Amino acid sequence: MTSVTSTPSRRFNAARWRATPGPFKVGAIILAAHALFAIVGAVWTPYGYAEMGAGLPLSGLSWGHPMGLDQIGRDVFSRFMHGAHIVLLLSFAGTILGMVAGTTLGLLSGYVGGWFDAVTQRVVEAMISIPFLALALVMIIAAGPALAGAPVLIVFVVGLVYAPRITRIARAAAMEIATREYVAVAELRGEGTWSIVFREILPNAANVLLVEFSLRLSYAPILIGALGFLGFGIRPPTPEWGLMISENRNLLIASPVTVFGPGLGLASLVIGFNLFTDGLSRMLGQRPVAGA
Amino acid sequence: MSIFRLLASRILFSALTLLLVSILIFLILEALPGDVATRILGREATAKALEVLRSQLHLDQPALVRYFQWLGDFLRGDLGTSIATGRPIADVLGPRIVNTLLLSLFAFALYIVLALVPAIIQAVNRGKTIDNVISVITLLLLSLPDFLLATMLLFLFAVAVPILPALATISENSTWQEMLRAMVLPAVTLAIMMAVYAIRVLRDSLIEVLRSDYVRLAELKGLRPRAVLFRHALPNAIVPALNVTALNLGFLIGGVVIVERVFSYPGFGTLLIDALQLRDIPLIKATVMISAAVYVAANLVADVLAVLLQPRLRTSR
Amino acid sequence: MKKLIEVRNLNIAYGSAAGWTNVVQGVSFEIARGEAFGLVGESGCGKSTVAYRLLGYGTINSLVQTGEVIFDGIDLLKLDATALTRLRGSRIALVPQNPTTSLSPGMRVGTQIREMIATHRALPPGMAMETRIVELFALVGLPDVGHRYPHELSGGQQQRVTIAMAVACNPDLLVLDEPTTGLDVTTQRQIIQLLADLRARIGMAMLYVTHDLALLAQIADRVGVMYAGQLVEVAPCETLLAAPAHPYSRGLIASIPTMDGAAQPGQGLRGVLRRDQMSTGCKFEPRCDFAAAACRTTPQALEPVTGARTVACMRWREAVAPHVPVLVKREDKKTAEVPKRVLSVADLALSYTRPSLFDRLLGRSSPAVVRDIDLDLRAGEVVALVGESGSGKSTIARAISGRLPPRAGIISLDGAALAPALKDRSVEELRQIQYIFQNPDASLNPRRRIRAILARPVDHFGIEVDDKALETVLDNVGLHAGYLDRFPEQLSGGERQRIAIARALLVNPKLLICDEILSALDVSVQARIVELLRSLKEKHAVAMLFISHDLAVVQEFADRVAVLYRGELMQLADTATLLSEPLHPYTEMLLEAAPSLRKDHYVSRPPAVPNSKAAQGVGCPLAGRCPRQIGSLCAETRPPLQTTGNGFVRCHLGVEALPVHSTPTDARDPSVQKVSSQRSL
Repeated sequence: MTSVTSTPSRRFNAARWRATPGPFKVGAIILAAHALFAIVGAVWTPYGYAEMGAGLPLSGLSWGHPMGLDQIGRDVFSRFMHGAHIVLLLSFAGTILGMVAGTTLGLLSGYVGGWFDAVTQRVVEAMISIPFLALALVMIIAAGPALAGAPVLIVFVVGLVYAPRITRIARAAAMEIATREYVAVAELRGEGTWSIVFREILPNAANVLLVEFSLRLSYAPILIGALGFLGFGIRPPTPEWGLMISENRNLLIASPVTVFGPGLGLASLVIGFNLFTDGLSRMLGQRPVAGA
Repeated sequence: MSIFRLLASRILFSALTLLLVSILIFLILEALPGDVATRILGREATAKALEVLRSQLHLDQPALVRYFQWLGDFLRGDLGTSIATGRPIADVLGPRIVNTLLLSLFAFALYIVLALVPAIIQAVNRGKTIDNVISVITLLLLSLPDFLLATMLLFLFAVAVPILPALATISENSTWQEMLRAMVLPAVTLAIMMAVYAIRVLRDSLIEVLRSDYVRLAELKGLRPRAVLFRHALPNAIVPALNVTALNLGFLIGGVVIVERVFSYPGFGTLLIDALQLRDIPLIKATVMISAAVYVAANLVADVLAVLLQPRLRTSR
Repeated sequence: MKKLIEVRNLNIAYGSAAGWTNVVQGVSFEIARGEAFGLVGESGCGKSTVAYRLLGYGTINSLVQTGEVIFDGIDLLKLDATALTRLRGSRIALVPQNPTTSLSPGMRVGTQIREMIATHRALPPGMAMETRIVELFALVGLPDVGHRYPHELSGGQQQRVTIAMAVACNPDLLVLDEPTTGLDVTTQRQIIQLLADLRARIGMAMLYVTHDLALLAQIADRVGVMYAGQLVEVAPCETLLAAPAHPYSRGLIASIPTMDGAAQPGQGLRGVLRRDQMSTGCKFEPRCDFAAAACRTTPQALEPVTGARTVACMRWREAVAPHVPVLVKREDKKTAEVPKRVLSVADLALSYTRPSLFDRLLGRSSPAVVRDIDLDLRAGEVVALVGESGSGKSTIARAISGRLPPRAGIISLDGAALAPALKDRSVEELRQIQYIFQNPDASLNPRRRIRAILARPVDHFGIEVDDKALETVLDNVGLHAGYLDRFPEQLSGGERQRIAIARALLVNPKLLICDEILSALDVSVQARIVELLRSLKEKHAVAMLFISHDLAVVQEFADRVAVLYRGELMQLADTATLLSEPLHPYTEMLLEAAPSLRKDHYVSRPPAVPNSKAAQGVGCPLAGRCPRQIGSLCAETRPPLQTTGNGFVRCHLGVEALPVHSTPTDARDPSVQKVSSQRSL
């Protein structure tokens, strides 16, 4: 398990930036670039993201079309650009949802214990036992055709797939912190459960949770992409990156850049998140727990 | 607690978990508010078609009855009938499971090598260039979505340098060489995806163990480095990696869905996707239950192995 | 004597993100063949770093800047890995600090010893491996435990295994890194006894690293005192203890609580070692009572002075000047009226866990870990609860505080019975009992500033205080207002413990439970916290339940002592009475085991009837271990409670029969120490 250590927060300054680990810096720069790219892409793209006939279909990469053109002549780079904010927003929203649910349930379950914990753990265990992609897909099917492809559904599914996994981490952290004597001191004072969870446990679990958040965030674009790739994600023609890769896969021989352009774009975002997580966990003295 | 009592309690818990899984799946697929038949067939479906489907799924009966009916059948080995094909699910699933099992075994064997070797090299040379290089490679691979990695491998080894088949189509009359060749790319993809997680965990746990008091004592006893590593460090470091491996098996099952799809491998994963696309609820329930059972069983094995590797857990004072 | 190993001008630095820190500076000493050399100092002084270099071992982030370790004419620091591997274990062996974490958890202990012998091909000719292993076990006083896993052995047994392993190849030098830390007093003494015995038999040399001078006194020939990475004094053990020449040695020795019943006058160490506040001259200068202006700038090196002693202090003559230990006999404040009873515990029985559903179905109940506890505390009184680890002392404290509802018995505060469970107690009752924990690192929330940590209980209990209350309470525990805005991690262990004490005092409790509050601290810090508690006790008239495993600390300021063994009170008596007439065989064992600051030639007395152990809840828990056991009676019948002058004894032996074995009084007579100190000069 990760050890729960903590450092009092300090203000951002130049000296601190220099002292931060390299991966963190590189990750932060990549993420900043992605964020900027997403903001620009949300308001302006060279061609319309659904505009057909922006050029000759399958004409490969050129200055005008750095990621080539797809089967129906849409500019892949414009689509990629427009998709950036969608991927980022979905990832953040889904992860935050999972984080809020998982943290609350996990901290309570770990601290309170007893039958509440036993029941929670069994349900969490059962949810984790269903391979996450299968769980996500089943939930999408269950939502029915009306909701299929809606961003809300994707956010909800990501949150629900993440919540039990985050619950576990939060619970383990809470159980470890609950043995600390400062928690006993608060109990001896007669503090209530919520007060102890939020005053004593949450601040000390913050590092673990922050790293977990960052780790989950880095996997969210992959999960969303996989759903899109399999045809269960965001409804076309909205250019979600996984969906684009899947759409252009039959152009793999004719125009590979239409697949690998968005693909490497997606990979670079995840690399940014992963480097950020790595650096963050080093700075906070945590070890990210791998494993989907 | 004796090992048998421990084993018994773990098995009991696993069964309980699977029972909960069955409830969850049932709740998600059939007990959500709204009409199941409409959700399957869409709003444009004719009243007639809806009626047929309802009777096929016994939707006229209360949910509780349907659940126990399903559970009872399932436990007796009757997996039900596929809506889309009308064939018994057991017949549809059987060969697919065999195919996926073969692929998984191949991938798993590769995984063990791909996880152990780099992790040991890293831990022994911690802080040196080779450690950093492997760390960077692991991080990059970790950041590649599985569908992208599969597509890249496909492009490299089937399109750019066509040495391997692009489509891993196998049938009952393929020779084992053909099958092996067909399985190389999907298996390598799966093994890499699993190994990148395990390498990090194994490296960290091995480094932690190498810093432990008992490894230091083993060194100061004058044991040769190889003996210290393989007799004292590795057996104790492998336990956290075991848990990741169990988690990885869950991933393997999910990854199989993607990888089989990219390479058109006729396995369990493609079947699940087909079932989902056709909204073949009995088939979905059966596939998901089986994948959960595999995951739970893998965790059970990992737990038992962990106990066997750590005598401390075997007997409590 | 012939030199076996020699350390010359060793300088070691540790690297971190912030740069290099010198942790060992200019250390030189030698150990003769067959000699036992002790290296003593407080935590972080670099003693272990030096010791491991004697095995040619250093952590990755440490760097030997200069220096040599000459063993048999070879410099160990220049040897390659293969040559070192050949030497380690066979000629220089290690006994590690913590046997529990040092034995490979997944390997049988016999295999671990076999591995050692096989690697170095050290099997005596004509002897079978199995025979040799059994012989080694016998040598350290163990039965054949070769097939056991480490976790199946007790801490003391594990340490015996590591010792057996260390001597398996008949090494020339044994490096012992705090080998008895973490063990119970009696076990500690048995290990020391074993080591002394082995040394006599095998004739190997020893480097014994410890923070415990009193233990060193029992085994070492010569002692080196380390401070901030430097050796400040090297002297024959007896000379050092009787008349320390360096001011640091002097302070260190004065900080050690001794069993002679005399409170040491205020000459313990002040301040703490701050590596960031080091002068260019003598490292000890900021904390030294004898420091002159020149000390700040003049580096000090070991210089030979009288006899076989070397000291790194230019003012050693002043420091060594014989000081007559002022015997401050504890004044017996016999006030006419007896203060009223604050806490009363009657017939308390405790078990750790509620029986699980499984156990309840089978009608099993979990065994009581604590039985029949009767205890009273009066206002302003300090009662010490003493026992070995696992005796249930903290469990009792947990029950009193309400964190562990008792299985049976009544706990009352001010005559009113307290609810067993914490959640059923009133806020007022919670306020009146305050608890101070063992580990100050864990008892303060690391995410809150001291101000918030102190203010929270005041808010919670709704206590009316003036603006200056936090400053005042800090001042009370010897800290200034500047601490309010710090985080716990910016404080030293001793300072944190002061904050914990301040937090407890702030709400005016009637009862203070101190649960091993000294055991995580260095000797010199301990001495000052004891000083603080003593003054607080006089100022606040609060009743204190002081839990400790260390009789020596307890006798310094407890009014009464309760001795606990395996969950049962063996004896309760006035501190003075208990020390002079231990009465109970177990108290006697504890007193004998507590080392004094001179060689006391302790020999543990064997149990009278070793194989007659009592079942739980039946007979006397000491049965099987007691040197004065009366046949099978003790194992079968519960010993009666016999009232003595100011307490009771639980034993089958009659009160009049008990005091036979009381230890010779002159061993504890401080005058002996004084005489010897004069003789050595």
